[in-house]
Amino acid sequence: MAMPGQLMFARRLGPTARLAIWLLIGLSCVIVDVRYHALDGLRSGFSLLLQPVREAVRAPVNVAVELTGFFTRHRLLQKERDALLVERAQLMLDVDRAAELARENAELRALLQLRTRPGQKVVHAALLYQGHDWFAQHLTLDVGSGAGLRVGLPVIDADGLAGQVTRVYPGSSEVTLVSSANQLTPVFVERTGQRGLAAGSGHGQMELRYMPSHTDLRPGDRLLTSGIDRVYPAGIPVATISRVSRSQSSPYLRVDCLPLAGLDRSRGVLVLIAEPQVTKP
Amino acid sequence: MTPSTPTAGNWRRILGSLALAVLLEQLPWSGWALAVRPDFVLVVMLFWALHQPARISFAAAFFLGLLADFQDGAVFGQHAVAYVIGVYMVLYLRLRLLQFDPFRQAAQMAPILLGVQLVVLLIGWLAVNPPTGLDILIPALSSIVLWYLIALFVRLWHGKGAQDRA
Repeated sequence: MAMPGQLMFARRLGPTARLAIWLLIGLSCVIVDVRYHALDGLRSGFSLLLQPVREAVRAPVNVAVELTGFFTRHRLLQKERDALLVERAQLMLDVDRAAELARENAELRALLQLRTRPGQKVVHAALLYQGHDWFAQHLTLDVGSGAGLRVGLPVIDADGLAGQVTRVYPGSSEVTLVSSANQLTPVFVERTGQRGLAAGSGHGQMELRYMPSHTDLRPGDRLLTSGIDRVYPAGIPVATISRVSRSQSSPYLRVDCLPLAGLDRSRGVLVLIAEPQVTKP
Repeated sequence: MTPSTPTAGNWRRILGSLALAVLLEQLPWSGWALAVRPDFVLVVMLFWALHQPARISFAAAFFLGLLADFQDGAVFGQHAVAYVIGVYMVLYLRLRLLQFDPFRQAAQMAPILLGVQLVVLLIGWLAVNPPTGLDILIPALSSIVLWYLIALFVRLWHGKGAQDRA
């Protein structure tokens, strides 16, 4: 590849040697990151670099969405408002009942000297960016360690459990979705109280694992977090069962579930901040 | 530095197009648009590796790959290794690629872009989880289309017409 103006016998490494060097560096990066988690500083650096860009890029997109949606949404909003007023009236009744129950619950807990449930403080976060990783599904949120976030906190939206905070940067954080492959969530079936383990299977779906074939499960059953892991507060809706099938080769049922949270729709989520609990022997 | 053609690619143009590609990836993509999103950074980077190999080559590919890894929340090095291999393949086939008109060039780029995606798949497979499907190969197809459009645009821009004159 000698070109005019370039030395024909220039003393520099050939492309193959340079490829080998960079491959070596790249593979050692992979190993250092996967085995020793030693590159979190680099991640924080990138997040500081890209966070303002993401915020800035989001603004015109939001404006465009607002403008296109403005006219079509007016009628919709009126309808929605009417529906919400009706719903509000019903909810007010429930709120009264819930307040009554909470008071009663507090008294009973005081009697039993139990801890209060974790997950009392809530941080609202807007969804910044959806990651494009095929091996684990992530969301990026616009709050980070500044707002008190830690690795491991549960993240919910209006409909249910969305996932768990897995990486925290100064001004942003990454959430691994419940539908991400091999993300485990301890759940129980609302109708029967049967406890189990829901795992993400990628593709925005989940499966309920290790259910013996005589278990009473039906399509439509809701799964709620069981709370025995001390990570998720109990009783958050996670998924509904969409299909139950038996297989000849396995002693367990194959249970497909659909997550309830709008994993690819919701734009705002809540992060539940629980005080770290120390278990006493 | 070799001024191969007087108009093509000064630093400002290279960095501007790369910055634009990074910005495009920062948009809040979601749903099917995210699934078919071409890898803007990869295409632009390979384009400059083809036309200005003295300026954009392995080091730039590695850094942009790390950026892509951060972007997707993937393992550090996954895209970096894949991009470096992509640059190597482009440099290897460079003289051949430069002979073709945009459509045939895009067809020649297809195995390279597919190879890059496969390397990403392989490293993710070994380092994190087995893949859940072959969705990972869709961006390779859209990247090929993007390559064709860019090559066509550049050719029209330089006033050479859409068809190869040879």
